Parts: sequence; structure tokens; C-alpha cells
Amino acid sequence: MLIRAALLASALAFATPAFAQPKTTLSVGIAAQDIGQLDPHFAVSTIDRVIAAWMFNGLVRFPPGSIDPAKLEGDLAEKWESSPDGLTWTFHLRHGVQFHGGFGELTADDVVFSLKKAGEAKTSAFSSELRPFQTIEAVDPYTVRLVLKDHVPSVLGILTNYSQGFIVSKKAVEQRGDDFKRNPIGTGPFAFASVTPNQSLELVAHDGYFRGAPKLKKISYRFIPSDASRDLAFQSGELDLNYGRADQAWVNRTKALPHTIVDVFEPAEEGELHLNTTVKPLDDIRVRQAIAYAINRPELVRWRGADVSREGQSVVPRGYLGFTADNGLVANNVDKAKALLKEAGYPDGITIKMIQSQLPEMLTAAQVFQAQFKRAGINLDLQVVEHATYHQQIRQDLSPIVYYSAARFPVADVYLTQFFHSRSIVKTPTAVTNFSHCNVADAEIDGARVATDKAKQIALWVEAQKKIVAQVCAVPMFETLLVFARHDNLDYGYKLEGSMSLGPLITEATHFK
Amino acid sequence: MIFYIIRRLVAAVPTLLAVLTLVFLIVRVVPGDPAIAILGDRATPEGVAALHARLGLDKSIWQQYVDFLTQSLSGDFGRSMVTGRPILSDVAAVLPHTLDLTLASLIVGCIIGVPIGIWAALHRNRAIDYAARLLSLIGLSFPVFVSGIFILMVFALHWRLFPVIGNARLDDPLDRLNKLVLPAATLGLVMAAYITRVTRSAMLSVLGEDYIRTARAKGVPWRRVVWRHGLRNAAMPVVTVVGLYIGILIGNSVLTEIVFNRPGLGKIIVGALNQRDYTMLQGLMVIYCFLIVVVNLITDLTYGIIDPRVKQ
Repeated sequence: MLIRAALLASALAFATPAFAQPKTTLSVGIAAQDIGQLDPHFAVSTIDRVIAAWMFNGLVRFPPGSIDPAKLEGDLAEKWESSPDGLTWTFHLRHGVQFHGGFGELTADDVVFSLKKAGEAKTSAFSSELRPFQTIEAVDPYTVRLVLKDHVPSVLGILTNYSQGFIVSKKAVEQRGDDFKRNPIGTGPFAFASVTPNQSLELVAHDGYFRGAPKLKKISYRFIPSDASRDLAFQSGELDLNYGRADQAWVNRTKALPHTIVDVFEPAEEGELHLNTTVKPLDDIRVRQAIAYAINRPELVRWRGADVSREGQSVVPRGYLGFTADNGLVANNVDKAKALLKEAGYPDGITIKMIQSQLPEMLTAAQVFQAQFKRAGINLDLQVVEHATYHQQIRQDLSPIVYYSAARFPVADVYLTQFFHSRSIVKTPTAVTNFSHCNVADAEIDGARVATDKAKQIALWVEAQKKIVAQVCAVPMFETLLVFARHDNLDYGYKLEGSMSLGPLITEATHFK
Repeated sequence: MIFYIIRRLVAAVPTLLAVLTLVFLIVRVVPGDPAIAILGDRATPEGVAALHARLGLDKSIWQQYVDFLTQSLSGDFGRSMVTGRPILSDVAAVLPHTLDLTLASLIVGCIIGVPIGIWAALHRNRAIDYAARLLSLIGLSFPVFVSGIFILMVFALHWRLFPVIGNARLDDPLDRLNKLVLPAATLGLVMAAYITRVTRSAMLSVLGEDYIRTARAKGVPWRRVVWRHGLRNAAMPVVTVVGLYIGILIGNSVLTEIVFNRPGLGKIIVGALNQRDYTMLQGLMVIYCFLIVVVNLITDLTYGIIDPRVKQ
């Protein structure tokens, strides 16, 4: 009896601390071989963007869990004001914001340096976003003044905690030089600790974080490219948070696991078929219209899954400021498609080439389009290439039809400019991603950008969408939402409805229950 | 022996140079621009040009080739174009994992494959032989991404004996061993299937030789005939296959590495290819080629140990 009591007591003595101490290390599984770029101004892939948002802040931010531009709030800036003409913006910084690793307090010099770095093509992948600014200067250690060349739809949107808006430590960049991208310094709730090639990246809590010390002490960001293995690691409890697949079967299967929550959130990537309006046979609008009629969007959503996708309704994704569904987009009508082809001189059907990436999610979608096209007598000749080759060749204007899926800052201007303004036509000096050579809405896009009257601005964006849809520069297909799975003991500390970093934001409030 | 090794290493220099040149050319002939791969969606002509300048891709092809050769010959393989990390440090971080897996699966393969191969040969066209042939066929037919996932489901998820994530800490031998068991078993079984078939076939051929018949006629015990006269002579093709297989394993165990979440040389090569990381690919290929030369050398030296005639 005495021995049993002693054993029980000793067992309890060992067991109690394990139960008493909440878990403070978060293990995240991500579909990647390795990290790419740790310099936030080069973080373009999902893998890099997710983690950049945990390490860096912007002048302003989307509240955690939201991507609504109307709700932007102060981040490193406490407050701001603009001149009556809207061209001069003054930001007042918080006092006492500390950089990671003892790099001192954030000052206006860091902000000026960061924004200038983000605006330079040599030091940033997002330099074009900063073009609207004429000057960026420090008024005093806690005040930054920005002067615009002309009006832009959303000044705060450029300066938010997203891509070009991240603020880095000037001292760290100057001191570390090229090494900064391997050892970055920000002000966010988590600081870079180490990276093991091909295995994982470790972050530690930034106890001096200006919103308070994070509840989590460590994050292990694990690179696990195999979906099956990542899922098994999640099921075995080795991962707390798992990068999910936008696939209904995956969502259903994962939801059925015990103690598991599947988060499906914004922004959705909209997939569109961009039709090159300058090459035969797509230079004939009847052929483009036939393609628009051949597409069956409800069927695409049934294939992709109702939880993770929705129909594309315009050439701008849903929910973006300026989006309209009232744009004249046609519904599926195979007879009409065939009639249009016949009218265009192709009574026996037509064959059109499309260069396509071999990435499974892109290739399977293209194969579904191919089947839908076939019903209308259009033979989609898929030329499958490796993903990097696909990106190069579509930018060389080699594919008459380009299937491209993207999410952008949720204001119509960005999508319209990058995909449908003549300045963005591929293979030109100012090229971005206008694969269709569309130029029918330049006036509306330019007009909306400088419009000071919000109603007029939105009316111009609506008009632009109507014109692009009428000319069938692109056919919206479907929108795919982001998916992550977590164990139910992980509490983000906010309600996750959207995240511009394409992954759940891990904040100072994120914790295990 | 020393002179033999030196002679072989010197003979490998032209091979390495040819590989360096071929790799340099191939990675540039393959379509796809590293700058576009790095910049992704945001690849504007201005950004691409700036990145080309930063990565040295704006130089003439000859200049790039000379730079590459000079650096490689001085033992400096440069840095990854994508991550900026030194290539040698990336390779050094994963090479122990690759060697662990290669050697462990080699051991598993030999321990299982050689005895089964001998056993099957000694029982030709009997139940044991049929069973061995069938099992080796199954072993060869199952791709690693199927057998690996199955093994993970049973041993890591159902019985929880081993972890799913196999990235071990190099400074912890127990952790290293714990995370090696499942991938080494998976790959080792495939290797065992190969070795079983080769051993069986080599043994069958040797057991029909006159000297075996003579040894038996002289009254040498059967066990001794098999082990001393049979296996030793049958070992040459087995060693050849094992040597070739090790070379393949070093770079091609990528599927095992992906399924078991292990770091490794194969995984880095695939990642570098996807990202068009020219410098990383070049460095990896040179290192890989060097390892192949070393493996071939060891194989040749093993021939000498097994068959004294080779030394002469």
C-alpha cells in the first residue's frame, strides 16, 4: 500500500507540470521544399509571404483575420493625416517599437529606408507599387511624410502589412548587406532564429513586441512537400497547423478527423482564361464569344468543391472594391457557342493552342476546360510544360490562351491595371500580365485611379469591367479560396475570415487552449 | 594500391570537367528564367533585368562559364541564386542524411537480399525459389511513394512507433536512428529485391561451373562449397549492381526523402531544378559527380578484394 502510494505520488509529481504548462511551440506544415526569400520585399511565393507577415509590420494593417480595405487600422503608425488635395500624407509613428535582435527602436529613417528599398527594382519585387510616390521623407524621428505624384485609389493599401509595405531595420540591412535576406530583422511578434535547409525554419517570440509579448514562444515552420505525408504528420499530432488543399474531398476528409478545424478563407484566387485578341483565330470576337459560351462555371465549382470555390463573376474577383457582377458575362450555352463558331467560318470546330503548367492543380483544371470546350467543338490543344517554363513562355506571348490564377490587393484598380491595361501587355517594356493585349478600358482604369470622387471612381471600374467582358479579353472561370487545417486547441486569437499573407496570421494573441 | 587510387582520381578529372561543362550548358538550354522563377507573379521586365544584373546573368555566356569554372576549380561553388545561402553549407547540411539513408538501405538490402538470393538458387524451381522470385517482383513493382505511405500509416500513424516527420537532428544519434528506420526499410526492401534477383542468378550460374562439381566430388562439405567457392565467385555481379545502385540512391532517393520528409541531396536537386537555381544545380551536379567517382572507386577496390586477379 505504502509503495503504491509512493508510486502514485511520484507519478503525479512528474505528470502535473506536463498538464500545468500550456504548449507554447507551434508546429506548422507547409507544402514546400525550402524557404525562398526572407527579405519581405522579395517574398512573392505563398511559402515566403505567410512567414513574412509573422515577422514584419507595415505602417497600417488589416485587422487580423480581415482583408477589408475599409477596416485598415494603425500598425507602426499611430495616426495619419492627408492634405486637402489628398497628395501629401503624414504618418506619426508609435514610440518605443523595438526591432528584433537588439537593433533598436524604429524611427522614421527606417520607414523611409524601407519604402525606398521597396520602390527600387534592384532591391524589391514590388517596386512598381511605390511608383506613385514623388517623395518619401522623415520630418522628425517619429514622423514620415509621403508626397504623391498623382492620386491613387488606395494610399493606405500600398502601405499596409503586405508585400511592399513591410518595414525593415535600416541598420540591419546596411550592416548585413546581402546577408539580410538570410537573417532578416523586423518588428513583428516573431523573430527569425534559424533555418535548416530542406527541413524547417524556426522563429522565436519577440518579447519586446509593441503589442505585448507573444503567448507562443516558438514556431517551427516545416517544409513538407508531400501532401500525403503532411496530412499524416498532422493526424499524428506532429503538426498543429497544416497547409491544406483547395479540394472538396480533402476538406471533407480532414473535417472528419477528431479535434480538427478546417479554415477556408479569403482572398480567393480567381482563375481566368486570357484570350489573345491579336492572333488568329482569337482576333475574331465571335470565336472569343464562343469560348465564353462554352464555359460552364457551375460545373467547374461542382468539380472543385462548393466549400473551397465559387463561380467567377467578373474579370475582377468578388469582394474587391469596385467589383460588379452586373457586367454582361454570359452563361453556358453550347448551341450558341457552336453557332458563333459557324458564323466565324469554323462550322467543323476549331483547334486552339494553350501552353499549360504541369502543376497538378493547374493541369487538372485545364483538362476540365478542355472537356467543356470539346462539347462546343473547340479542341483545346494543351501543351504541357514545367511550371517555370510556363511562366517564361506565357510572358513571351507564346500561348494564345493563358490560364492564370491570381489574388491581388482587393481594389479593382490593381487587377484591372495588371491584367487589362495596355501598359501591362506582355513583351512590352512596361509589361505585367496583360496576356490578352486588351486595351478597351484604359481610359476608365486611368480615370478611376485619379478620381477623387469615390462614387465616380467605382462607376469607372464598373464600366471598365463591362467593356472588358463585352470584348471577351478574358473569361472568368472560378475562384479558389485558401484552406488550412488546425487542431482545435490552437486559438488564433481572432476570427479568421481573410489574410493577405495567404496564411493564418500568427499574432501575439495566438495560443494553445 | 595508393598509386591505383591516385591514378583513378586523376582519370576522373576529365570526366568532372566534361560534367561541369555539360551541366553549365544544360541548365541554360532548359527553358525557364531564374529571375522569373524568383519574382513569380511580379516579374516585370524592369525587375527581371535588375535581378539578372544582381545574379550575374547579364554577363556573356562565356564570361559566366569562365567565372563558373574558376570558382568550381577553386572549390567555391558560390551561393544559391534563390536563397543566397552558400551551396557547400546547404550540401553539408543534407549530405549526412543522404549518406545515412544510402548506407542503411544498402545494409538492409544486403542482409535480406543476399541470403534470400542464395537460398532461392539452392532451391531452384521449388516453392522457396518461387516465393523469393515473387517477393522480389513485388518489391520492385511497388513504387516508394506507395510503399512509403503504407509503412507510415502502419508504423507511424497506427502504432505510433516512429515519427512521420523524418528530419533528424544530426547531433543526436538516437534521433537520427529513430528517423532512419522507416525510410531505410522502405528503400532497403527495394534494394533487397534487386539484390535477391542478381544473387540468385549469379549463384545459379556459378553453381553449374566445373570447379563446383570438382569441389563436391572431392568431398568438400556443401556449406563450404556454397560460401567459399560459390558465393565468392558470384559476388562480382552483386557488387557491381550494389555499386551502381548506391550511385543511383545518392541522387535519386528523392521520392523517399519527400514521403518521409527527410532532407537530402535528391530533394535539393529537384528544388533547384524547379526554381532554375543555376548555381545550386551546377554545384550539386559537381558534388554528385564526385560522389559517383568515389563510389565507383570503392566498387573497383572491392573487386580487388573479392578477386585477386583484378589487382594484377
